[in-house]
Parts: sequence; structure tokens; C-alpha cells
Amino acid sequence: MAVAPRSPRLARRGVLTVESGGASSSGRVGRLYYRAMRLELRWSEVDELVAGSSTRLAGRRLEVDLDALSRLLARDARLRGIRLDLVHPGERCRIGRVFDVVAPRARLDGEDFPGVLGGVARAGHGTTLALAGVAVVATDQQTDSVGTLAVIDMAGPNAALSAFGATENLVISAWPAPGAERSDYLAAVRLAALKAAVHLARAAREAEPDRVEVFALPPSPRVPAELAHLPRVAYVFQIHSHQRPTGLDEGILYGDPVRRMLPTLVHPNEVLDGAVLRGFMGRSVTTWATQNHPVIRALYAQHGRTLWFAGVVVTVAQATEPERVRSAFLTAGIVAHTLGADGAVLTKIGGGAPHVDMAQAAAQCEALGVKTTLLVEDMSTDGSAEGMLLFDFPGVDALVNVGSSHEPLTLPPMDRVVGADDLAPGLQGETRATYGTLCGAIEQIGATRVMAEVR
Amino acid sequence: MASGPLRVVCFVNQFFGQLGGEEKAGVGPQVTDGAVGAARAVQQVLGEAGTVVATVICGDNYTAEQGERAVAELLALVAAARPDLVIAGPAFLAGRYGVACGALCAAVQAKLKIPAVTGMQAENPGVDLYRRQVYIVQTGAEATRMLAEVKRLIALGLKLARGEAIGAPAVEGYFARGVTRNVVTGATAADRATAMLLDKLAGRPFASEVPRPAFPSVPAPRLVKTLEGATIALVTDGGLVPRGNPDGIEALNATRYGAYSIEGKAGLEAAQYDNPHRGYDTSWVKQDPHRLVPVDVARDLEQSGAIGKLHETVYSTVGVATTLAHSARMGQEIAEKLRAAGVDAVILTST
Repeated sequence: MAVAPRSPRLARRGVLTVESGGASSSGRVGRLYYRAMRLELRWSEVDELVAGSSTRLAGRRLEVDLDALSRLLARDARLRGIRLDLVHPGERCRIGRVFDVVAPRARLDGEDFPGVLGGVARAGHGTTLALAGVAVVATDQQTDSVGTLAVIDMAGPNAALSAFGATENLVISAWPAPGAERSDYLAAVRLAALKAAVHLARAAREAEPDRVEVFALPPSPRVPAELAHLPRVAYVFQIHSHQRPTGLDEGILYGDPVRRMLPTLVHPNEVLDGAVLRGFMGRSVTTWATQNHPVIRALYAQHGRTLWFAGVVVTVAQATEPERVRSAFLTAGIVAHTLGADGAVLTKIGGGAPHVDMAQAAAQCEALGVKTTLLVEDMSTDGSAEGMLLFDFPGVDALVNVGSSHEPLTLPPMDRVVGADDLAPGLQGETRATYGTLCGAIEQIGATRVMAEVR
Repeated sequence: MASGPLRVVCFVNQFFGQLGGEEKAGVGPQVTDGAVGAARAVQQVLGEAGTVVATVICGDNYTAEQGERAVAELLALVAAARPDLVIAGPAFLAGRYGVACGALCAAVQAKLKIPAVTGMQAENPGVDLYRRQVYIVQTGAEATRMLAEVKRLIALGLKLARGEAIGAPAVEGYFARGVTRNVVTGATAADRATAMLLDKLAGRPFASEVPRPAFPSVPAPRLVKTLEGATIALVTDGGLVPRGNPDGIEALNATRYGAYSIEGKAGLEAAQYDNPHRGYDTSWVKQDPHRLVPVDVARDLEQSGAIGKLHETVYSTVGVATTLAHSARMGQEIAEKLRAAGVDAVILTST
């Protein structure tokens, strides 16, 4: 196994370096020298989150200057007020009406969340600080036009179903300024969450990282001869569904609201490093999961061993049939003809139309000889196995499922509710809900361990 | 919930009840105390966990010919024995026997609220008829391995009677009932998808986690008339409703549809219509409903004689997260109404 260059400084200090995949990341082919995209995530573990007089990382204790952070986040004309709550694993607390969850990250040599928070610039190459064990949870406090309910339970049986039941959570509640449109409000809340995520991660600037994870993937065609026998695998990542049109400030790919986006090739590191954010209709997907993308991680883990990670195609689920067909064959063409992939993993976002959109792209891949596996939700709304799937295309026969969001679930009583102030008294008691209500239980891009089993 | 030794009632046919072969197939329901015939295998497997308190026996032809009446008579005999658990069969590949076992187990569960288990071979018609309602353990075609198969029946039956969690079909050995349940797995979906893809690429067997849809593809019937003589109806699942949504058609998971008259209308006035559909961006069809239901163009075709007549009722529902059962029912009802009204063809617009 070849090893990518390490930071000599870190190596000297004896820091554990985790290399993803076994293939060399840079090299020489013929007369061409090339340099791979190389992302270094410097992880600091956090197991305690407390208020402090300044924001700093003391060992594994993250102290947050809540006043300073509130003032920073309140500097947005679209918001009227900010409240920050610290919520801990094991605490009998429910976080209500979760809008999105963001992983604390701060780039040392580039723009943070480029195109949305930072300036438009390439992500995915360089060094990024990352905090493990902490999440920034943005809640939706607008009550006149509420989104669907999503909650996080910090204790009880549901805590184990979601990654966010086990993280220390900084919960942001923000209220809209008078006259702020829904889309403006959500854009402001998301921006606040991104700012907070960067603010927290910067606390690790001087810290010795607990581990360093390197993601290095050479340009797709540059396969060393000794690894040329490995099957080439692409990932097709649906990042938005046009079931709901994006707002002007609803940046999804480098700040672009992807309104007219056709299938686009990106490097997987760009996805891991903040180039792709979740849109505002976040049904069963979070920005946090995208930043820790489970499919990209899974393919990286196998890269150079059992497969060659050929690249990532980002797509949107289209609203009309000609757009869907166009997008499907363009996707398949990139996967088969440009990336030369033998196989592809596909995921979707949103509901039924994106589910079919993904399957159409997969069918086009299969028609070109590219083997596919798809991550699907159980689409049945009555628990019958017949209704699990909304398509049946030749060759699209390898399906993994991320569970049924319609299956009933009981939310047990809690001692306090944070976020969704308007619902707080009711939401504190025992509440009937569904798996889809539990943020992080059903992650469409595959972070979930929940699966709908046919019985 | 039962605790301690269970009272078990067995159901067998005339053959396994040792009354005789085909010549005794007309025998009506009867009951014997304790374990008789094949029920003795049940008692042997149960050991101290339970006692076969009665064996209910009935001829195959009697159950096949008497149907519900036979089931009701058998149910009364079962109830009188006050069981905690009912074991029917196993019926192996015997068709009439399998159907009787399935029907009796379903009735025992529904009417007596007592758990029941049966066993059959995959091809037994009782499997398809009752697998959704009843736990049917998979057996061989013949009784050659009776004891081993009864062991699996009893293992599942004891779990049911004790209210213990039932594992996956492959683990417990029963036919999938076609219902889904969320479980927590060891590996993430992303890891499982990657592993499955590697298997598929290498030509190794893999197990998809979602069954292919069971619904058949329906070929479009041929239009028997020319268009010039045909009555055409407009039907949509795109959510067109009159303003105020008078039928209360659901935005999601619809169970209702509406029938809306277009009599005397040259087109659809946007102000008079609305759209509750939550599965797509409805702003364009709200702006101009013809983008969903083309009454304007259809009227032109009617007037120019390109089609015989436009049917004066538009049927509409919301097609998003709608269950297969409701879709099939609504489709059938709409089709019957259209046929009764003499409609020859339908333009179905979806989204």
C-alpha cells in the first residue's frame, strides 16, 4: 500500500494519520506530472461542550463564548433575535423542528463553505479543521409557515437511532425580522449555522489533532498499471429536487441554487469540504451527513483495494419528463463514457419523483453496461412491501434501503424542549410520530443503519 | 400473555388425523382429546413447554366444499378447547389441506385473538392466500422430515404465544408476509450498497433489500373506434381541484378523488381552480390549469371534429405517496364510471 505524503510536522509529533484507500495519490504517468486533490481533515475529539468566557478547546472540552457568538450571528438584517442552547447526550431533552445540522469545520487555507459563507473558490484541497462529537443544530422558529417537524432526542430509545443523539449539540434558535420572507429567513438561519460551525472549529487552530484523515484521489484516468484491474466505480449524487424550486439565496453547489444545473462532475473532496450544502427542503438529509458523506467515505475506504473510485457526478431531480430523460442520459454518459466506470452507486433526495429520477439514471447506466446499486427509501405509506418501490427497470435490481420514514414511532416524554418554542409544551410529553420525524434516523445518502425489512 | 405450560390445539386433516385416505375426505369437523396422528409429533416437540389438549380433525373435501361454514365449525371446536396456541398442519404440498390450515389460522387470530402457526411447501396455494395474515413456516413437499419441520413451527409458535419478538423470515423460516418493519442493521446503507455493488460487479450473488414491484404491467387496450367517433375523457393524478377543494382530496397519500363538470366550459379559469398536490412544484399549473388538464385544446379538437366528443366530467386525484391499494381502487372506480358513461378513451395526465 502506497502512502500519500504526510505532514512532516505531524509525523514528527507522532500523530495518527489515517490514509483513505491504498492507492498512491500523486505520481508520474508518461511525461506528465500531476498532483492529486488532497484534503487533510484534522480531527479534534470533543466530549464536553460548555459555556465559557472565550471560545476555546481545552483538551476535549470545548468552551463557547455564547455572547460573542450570539452577537456574531445576530448581524443579519433578516433575523430579529438569536438564542443559543447547549444540549448534551443523555440529557432528557428534545430538540424541536430541526432545520439542518452542520458539522463544525474551518479551513486553514481556503474559503469556508465557499459561495455561501466564504467567497466562491475551490474546496477539497488543503487542510481543514474538524471537530468530532459536536454538531451545530439549526432550528426553525418561524411559526406562520412551518416546515415538517423534525426532532432530535438526546435520551431514550430514539437517541441511538440518530447520529445527533450522541453528539454535543449547539442549538441555534433564530427568529425572522418583520417582513422577512420564508426563503430569506431560512437562508439566514442556514448562514448562522455555517458561521457557528466555523467559529467552533477555529477553536482547534492551536490544538494538536487527535487524528488526521487524508483524502487523496488522483485525476480519474490516472490509474497505476498495477491497479488497472480494479473495477472503476462512480457515485451519482442527487443534490436537490426541483419538486420545490430553490430560493435565490438557496446556494447548494458552491452557492449556486442549481436551478438550471445539468449533471456535473466534481471531485469527492469538494463534497466533503463544504462545496455541497443541503437545500431548504431537507427531507431526511442533513448538511452534516453531506460533509461526512457516507457513500464517498465507503468508496474511499475501498479505493485502491477492491475498486477504483472514478469520481462523483452531482445531479438534480428534474420536474418534467424531457428534463428527466435528458439528465438521465447525460449522467449515464458521463459515468460510462467519460469516467469509464464499470459500476455506480446512486442516491436520491426528496420524495417519490427523485426516487424515479434516480432510477431512470440508473437504468440508462445499466443500458450502457454500468452495474448499479441504489439507495432507496421504503416508499410504501401503508407498510406493505408491494408499495416499497415506484419503478421497475431492467437491470436496476440491486437496492439497499434506508428504512421507512412512514413507520410510526413514539417520542417518549422529556424534561425540556429546545427549539420549536411554539410546540414546546406538547412536544415535551409523549408524542406519536414517525421515523421520518427523527432527524438523522433516515439519512437518504446512506448514513443510516435503519433498514426496512420485509417480514 | 401465556406463561408456564401452554394449552395447544392441533388441526389436522383426515389423513394426518388417521381417519383414512381420500375415501374419508368428506368427514366433517370432529375433536379428540389429546394428540392424535400428526399432532403427536407436536406433543413430542413441545415436551414440557406445552400440552396438546385437543386435536381437531376435518376431511379435505369437507373444508374445500363448505368453505366459511367449515371454518366456523372448526373455530367453535378450537374455542371450546381454550388454547393458548393453535398449530395447523403442516400441510406440505397438499392444496386443500393448506388452504384449510391458512383459513383456520387466520380465523383463530382474528376472531379468538389466539396466535396460530401453520406450515406448507412454497407451491401450496394456501401460501399465497394466507401468507399476509398468518405465519406460515416453509416445509418440504412431503412429510418425510416431519419432526424437524414441526420443530420450526413450534419454535415460532412458542415465540408468538409468549409475545416474544419475531425475527426476519429467513431467520425464523416463515414466508414473508409482505409487510415492512424498520430494523437497525450493523452496517450503514452506504457500506451495504458498496458491498452489494462489488458483488454485482464480480458476478457474485447479492440480496437486494427491496423486492421488485409485484404489480403487473397493464397493456393499453386498442381503441376500437376512430377518434372522430370517440368520446374522450380527461383524467389526472396531478391534483386539479375546484377552489376550496370541496372533496377534501389529500395533499399526500390520497384516498379520495373528485369528479368535476366542465359542461359549458371552453376552458379552465385559473381563479376557479386550486391544487393541493405536495409532490411537485404546482405554481405553473395553478397559473394555468390547462398545463395539467388540457380542456382548451380538447375543446378545439372537439369543435374541429378531430375527436367525437369531450366527456363533460374530469376526474382528478393527488398521486403522491398514494398506496397501491387506494390507487387500484380509485382507478377501478373511475374506469367503471367512465365505461358506464360511454367513454371510449382517456387522456391521463400525470406529473
